[in-house]
Amino acid sequence: MRISGVSHRRDLGSRSYPMLVYASAPLVALVLQAWLPRVLHGYAWFDLPLVVTIYFALARRDPIQGTMMGAGMGIFEDALTHRAIGANGIAKTVAGFLAGSVGLRIDVDNFTIRMMMTFLLSLLSGAIYVLIYRVLLGLDQEWRGLDELMKAIGTSVAAMILFPLLDRTQIRE
Amino acid sequence: MDSFFTRYRNLLVLLAVLLAQIIGLAVQVRRTESGRNTLDPHDPTGVRLIRLWADAVVTPPERIFHATKLGSVSLWQNYIDLRHVREQNQDLQKTVDRLRLEQASLMEDARQGERLQALLDFQQKYIYKTVAAQAIGSSGNDSSKVFYLDKGSSDGLDRDMPVITPDGIVGKVREVFPHSAQVLAINDQTSGAGVILQSTRIRGILRGDAAGRPQIIGILADQRIQPGEKVLTAGGDLVFPRGLPVGEVVRVMQDPDRDSFIDVMVKPAAHLDRLDEVLVITSTEPRFSAEQQQDMATSQMLKGAQAAAIKEQQKASSIMAERLPGLTDPNAPPADAVAPGKDQTAPPATTAPPAPKLLHPIHPDRYTPGASPQPPQEEKTSPPPQAGRNP
Repeated sequence: MRISGVSHRRDLGSRSYPMLVYASAPLVALVLQAWLPRVLHGYAWFDLPLVVTIYFALARRDPIQGTMMGAGMGIFEDALTHRAIGANGIAKTVAGFLAGSVGLRIDVDNFTIRMMMTFLLSLLSGAIYVLIYRVLLGLDQEWRGLDELMKAIGTSVAAMILFPLLDRTQIRE
Repeated sequence: MDSFFTRYRNLLVLLAVLLAQIIGLAVQVRRTESGRNTLDPHDPTGVRLIRLWADAVVTPPERIFHATKLGSVSLWQNYIDLRHVREQNQDLQKTVDRLRLEQASLMEDARQGERLQALLDFQQKYIYKTVAAQAIGSSGNDSSKVFYLDKGSSDGLDRDMPVITPDGIVGKVREVFPHSAQVLAINDQTSGAGVILQSTRIRGILRGDAAGRPQIIGILADQRIQPGEKVLTAGGDLVFPRGLPVGEVVRVMQDPDRDSFIDVMVKPAAHLDRLDEVLVITSTEPRFSAEQQQDMATSQMLKGAQAAAIKEQQKASSIMAERLPGLTDPNAPPADAVAPGKDQTAPPATTAPPAPKLLHPIHPDRYTPGASPQPPQEEKTSPPPQAGRNP
């Protein structure tokens, strides 16, 4: 496991991708996230928009890009529900920012680090979502630990499949 | 100053984005008179616009995915997997014939009920018009039990219209877009449907719990409510017509917040996780639709034809019975003739086998048929009960 210090972050060049990938990957993730639960009859324990957010935040090594992508994905997901728009947005904004910040400091090519990041950020995202509802909005929102754990595992598995696929689309110099 | 913004640029952007979203959230929440926070059921214009954009982006690909799935399933079911179809078809035809006859008699009852309701100035709403729609997508969030239909306002859908399947109710239309609609399922925490238990006639409100299981809340503890009891719509919520199937009681449990109340867990009649085609009730009227009336006429006609056929068969069999030699003696008195001296008001004799004649026992005990049970030993010493005393 190769971990680099902050002073070496310039050496870790950020990756770039075709514009089509930037546009289509989040869209495909959002559509699949909305469509697959109907096909899988409710057993959709994964968060594909979060996988895409973490991937691009880590790969680009840019907290601002991670923040913006997380906010966009979260607000879009909220818009498809009947609940308040912004709760998921805040959760994914924080996740994107943290992934981008970590990307500056560590070697994100390492498979284990990516999986651990995805797992932890999925749990954190779920916890922030519940906190926003309970504390910020004062609404009833139950914390279902087992479901969140299953979702974090499912999201990590999805990341295990999607990250290598997205790696293939990067522009190599 | 410039270096401050450069140095903390990432953090400042994060705070700005978070602040904007928090302000956006504050706009959507309002405080009720009881002091509790709630989400506005009618989205503000800006929020609705965001939902409209999201729907416009997601719905077209979902339609393509759904159509592809339906196409492949249809190809398999209609062209490849056609075993036992002929037998099934014959069975179904028999079922249809039987149901048509049953429908005719039920419609007659319904007509009578309608006349009586008219006399009592009570208007029962009947499902008048429905629009069939496909469920093409979901919210993608397990805490929001909504799904999307491929029909919208251009197809006559509107807010608060009930959504059902032949099995039972599903939910109500929450938001309508030009070519799609968002449906709030009955197992969502924010949904609410007026329901009634079929046999005990106890009313309550159906909604989902945190795990998305439908439950009836606000019911006073009642021992009569048992698992298996059917749950129907009560018709008092101004959304669902009365008498539609909802599900059946699975479990009764104590309300964790209120001692004297119970929560009744319900297994929904409709398969909420496996919905494909649903019906949106776009109109309810206090009379039968033209289609229903046509069905009734067809049923009556079929019923008449069936009755005539049965009468013909009976007539033919009686003629045959007269012509064929019988096993009974023609000179013997008829079987239903009353024997002389027999009580004419007595009910007709049944065809039960004769009971064996019992001999009188030499030493009767408490097991002897007809003997009254012996009192316990200690009661033998107690004085006999007084007349008229209630035990």
